[in-house]
Amino acid sequence: NGTVIPIGQSLDPLPMHGPELGLQADDIEAPGIEQDPKQEVLENKNVVVQRVHIDGLGRTKEDLLTYEIAEVFRAKNLIDVMRKSHEARQKLLRLGIFRKVEVVIDTSRGEDALPNGLDVTFEVTELRRMTGSYNTMVGNNEGSMVLGLKLPNVLGRAEKMTFQFSYGTKETSYGLSFFKPQPGHFERNITLNVYKVTGQFPWSSLRETDRGISAELSFPVWKTSQTLKWEGVWRELGCLARTASFAVREESGHSLKSSLSHAMVIDTRNSSILPRRGGLLKIHQELAGYTGGDASFLKEDFEIQLNKTLFWDSVLSASLWGGLLLPIGEKPTSIADRFYLGGPTSIRGFSMYSMGPQSEGDYLGGEAYWAGGVHLYTPLPFRPGRGGFGDLFRTHFFLNAGNLCNLNYGEGPQAHLKKLAECLRWSYGLGIVLRLGNIARLELNYCIPMGVQSGDRICDGVQFGAGIRFL
Amino acid sequence: MAAPAELFCWEGDWGLPSVSTDCLVVLAYAQFAGAPLKLRRTSSPWRSPSGCLPALRTEQRETLSRPADIIIHLRKQKYNADFDLSAKEGADSLAFISLMEEKLVPALIYAFWIEPKNYVDVTRRWYAEHMPFPLNFFMPGRMQRQQLEKLRLLRGDETLEAGDELEKELFRDAAECMNLLSQRLGSHKFFFGDSPSSLDAYVFGHLAPVLKSRLPNSKLQQHLKTLDNLSGFCCNILLLYFPRDGRDASSQKTAPQPDGGADFDHVPHKRRKQFLSALVALGAMLSYALLTGMVSIQHVQQGALEDEPAHLQPLGEHEDEGDG
Amino acid sequence: MSLAAEAFVSQMAAAEPWPENATLYQPLKEDQILLSDCASSLAVQAYLRMCGLPVQVVCRANAEYMSPSGKIPFIHVGNQVVSELGPIVQFTRAKGHSLSDGLDDVQRAEMKAYMELVNNMLLTAELYIQWCDDATAAEISRPRYGSPYSWPLGSILAYQKKWEVRRKMNAIGWGGKSLEQVYEDVSQCCQALSQRLGTQPYFFNKQPTELDALVFGHLFTILTTRLTSSELAERIKSFSNLLSFCRRIEQTYFEDRSS
Repeated sequence: NGTVIPIGQSLDPLPMHGPELGLQADDIEAPGIEQDPKQEVLENKNVVVQRVHIDGLGRTKEDLLTYEIAEVFRAKNLIDVMRKSHEARQKLLRLGIFRKVEVVIDTSRGEDALPNGLDVTFEVTELRRMTGSYNTMVGNNEGSMVLGLKLPNVLGRAEKMTFQFSYGTKETSYGLSFFKPQPGHFERNITLNVYKVTGQFPWSSLRETDRGISAELSFPVWKTSQTLKWEGVWRELGCLARTASFAVREESGHSLKSSLSHAMVIDTRNSSILPRRGGLLKIHQELAGYTGGDASFLKEDFEIQLNKTLFWDSVLSASLWGGLLLPIGEKPTSIADRFYLGGPTSIRGFSMYSMGPQSEGDYLGGEAYWAGGVHLYTPLPFRPGRGGFGDLFRTHFFLNAGNLCNLNYGEGPQAHLKKLAECLRWSYGLGIVLRLGNIARLELNYCIPMGVQSGDRICDGVQFGAGIRFL
Repeated sequence: MAAPAELFCWEGDWGLPSVSTDCLVVLAYAQFAGAPLKLRRTSSPWRSPSGCLPALRTEQRETLSRPADIIIHLRKQKYNADFDLSAKEGADSLAFISLMEEKLVPALIYAFWIEPKNYVDVTRRWYAEHMPFPLNFFMPGRMQRQQLEKLRLLRGDETLEAGDELEKELFRDAAECMNLLSQRLGSHKFFFGDSPSSLDAYVFGHLAPVLKSRLPNSKLQQHLKTLDNLSGFCCNILLLYFPRDGRDASSQKTAPQPDGGADFDHVPHKRRKQFLSALVALGAMLSYALLTGMVSIQHVQQGALEDEPAHLQPLGEHEDEGDG
Repeated sequence: MSLAAEAFVSQMAAAEPWPENATLYQPLKEDQILLSDCASSLAVQAYLRMCGLPVQVVCRANAEYMSPSGKIPFIHVGNQVVSELGPIVQFTRAKGHSLSDGLDDVQRAEMKAYMELVNNMLLTAELYIQWCDDATAAEISRPRYGSPYSWPLGSILAYQKKWEVRRKMNAIGWGGKSLEQVYEDVSQCCQALSQRLGTQPYFFNKQPTELDALVFGHLFTILTTRLTSSELAERIKSFSNLLSFCRRIEQTYFEDRSS
């Protein structure tokens, strides 16, 4: 006389897979039909959720989960119970501490059982205490081995500890981070980081080694997500080769940056890589020097993106980026803090970060920049592989423009705007975009750079790009 | 005086009384000064009282390791090869010894320890053959790392690696140093007058290994051979002060050819082969165990990594539970 | 840069005359520079003055990291950057300025040998006293070395430097020496220099050479720098011909210009 309704089956859009499905495919059909009448009855009836069990807990503290499943008790009828249980299940999965969550709804039993009482049981399987990963990566002129170690749910309340170590042919890097969400409000969380990163920037003949610690607080306000961050970095700059220009040589050495930064993001896009609708607004500001350190500056930058679906599945996308770096005090800004522009992820048709102020062929970056782009994304011609593989690809036509320069603060804002408006670099072209999961994309474009200034390095014709953030 | 002073040195080869520069310096000085030392040639540095070679255990049971300290000690014992030098000549000695330490030593470290072919074909092979098992597997590598570290510190470059540019730079300095020594020596028999002094010992110690070793990359040797007076100077000292080692070298060249020599070597080789085969078998077993272990570990890791989208169990199973 | 390209560039450099805007870089004079760097920098300045080549001295907190070899000082001439006295001497010779052309082969060999004596003993002794003598390291070297940086970077860099120098001392066999032995080495070195100088105005008769510049740079700096103990300067003061040698070079090359 028990009634069990398979929530996952009815609401979860994910296709079922795995050995369980294959083995018990017959079982699903037969009892389902049998129970239809009872289900019918229950749907119209008011029900009371009397108990919620969570089975399979090991290290996880129960008080964390009570926040996540509290809503289930408020359900008034069976459909509500099913929906709220499903939501609770999604919340539990988002914590990132369970491998599997199953929901079982049953009528209440026992002495105090109400006739319309229901018990909801979440059967969870926790992730292992520690998981490891191993990757090899090949970059430009460098191979590296990345070892990762993740400890989900270290202290039992969805805290996460991750360690990454990358051992390269030239450089080694590592990072240790600790993440703790507030129980019941997963979006409110704290992240602590310790890291060492080494980067080589051939366009500036520069090598940079950063060792730093940072503390980050994220929380949602209305529709935005806000992040406050303090970061202390010991930066070591050096010349990549003996032939580096003297301007880069002058920047060599050690410095300490201690900065407070704030970021605000509103993202209503349906996908971050190839969105079809929605917009993105990102504002980031960083104030360095007030909490100690050698570097003092104020850095502001923003990013706007708007997407609109047009006829025949094509999407029109427009983006605008801009930024300003103001030195505070006598010291000029460091080459490591300035903005760089150009390359397949920003203004296409130019070489990577190869425009604007330079000295003997080494690009020094600018203190102000803006860049804008308009894209028309369309499906592949004749749409091969539609509904599957082909949907990972798009063709696009683009028009990019932007400028990067240093500002002389004696001249006033009028002069600055004029400076950013003249000597405009722009480019146009077309190409193919490939979406890689939901994190990165590859582009193969034919570009025609225009408005090239002397000293800029261009990449006329076919250009390949890979990255996470695109103009 | 209690027990006589004992000097611990690396074994000799290539017709030299010792293969190490520092040992050669001390040996040559002791010969020049006529110091009666009980010589212990060894190829196990840990047998020496200080753990490194050369080492002098004095009559008072003190241990000295730096060549300069040993020479000062011998001088105090009235075995002074620099007795006849004027103050200016003493000053010149000091200057030329510094010159060699700054310009020649880095190139020697490079040629014997860092240059890959030289190290593998000659240096590592020599030490591996002369050290006792099983240390001969680890010690040459350790010594090489120490020498690389030393060269890095001397040059003030943390990331220094073997390479053409470095080689060229070091060998240029070394060649210039040899030229300067050659110019200073001129047509004299020794650097100061007719009897050898500490400077002669230093020059001999640094140049004799270059002259006598058979390195595949022998640019230093080629340069030294063009300086007739310097190479003559080294041979002369070998002939006058180490006549036995020089003869050893010439006899060694012919000795290995007859079969009798091989027979003599047979027993230690047999033992070594036994050791080796046991080691190989053990290594194979261990690596197999490790390999299979690794594979199973990787399986576990991969299992853990699969972030399977959780899904609900089919209906029937739960109903059974409910009914029961 | 390949060696062929380097050779080409140095040929190009040889063709160009010495520019007016040549610059010498060293650490901050008041707060940062240490004895050994100051001595090396003064030696190069003395050498360039002896050659009659004008150079402007610029102090930068990051001079050590700007230098292509990581050593102080370095000069920026045209678009060339050259560090340390030895390479600078070669560089000026390529431009046709040399102090040692008048020497014969044996004299040149001796000059080079004595220069290495100064580097091998005086410079090493200076480094030893700066970083391996705990009192000097704690009171003078570490605070000065880290002074341009904010906390805690200054201390980190100073300790890093200290460990690096100590490892070097161990590698060259100076690790086991006591301070007294180092002073003894300095005396021995000065004794040798004093013997070589004798009663001559310069090491090789009437004309100064790069050896004179190097010896002046080190001795003058040791004599005029205050350390936790004056022992080092006292050791030099017992050689009167070296003292008058320093005074002579100071008067000839440094005083008449400043007045």
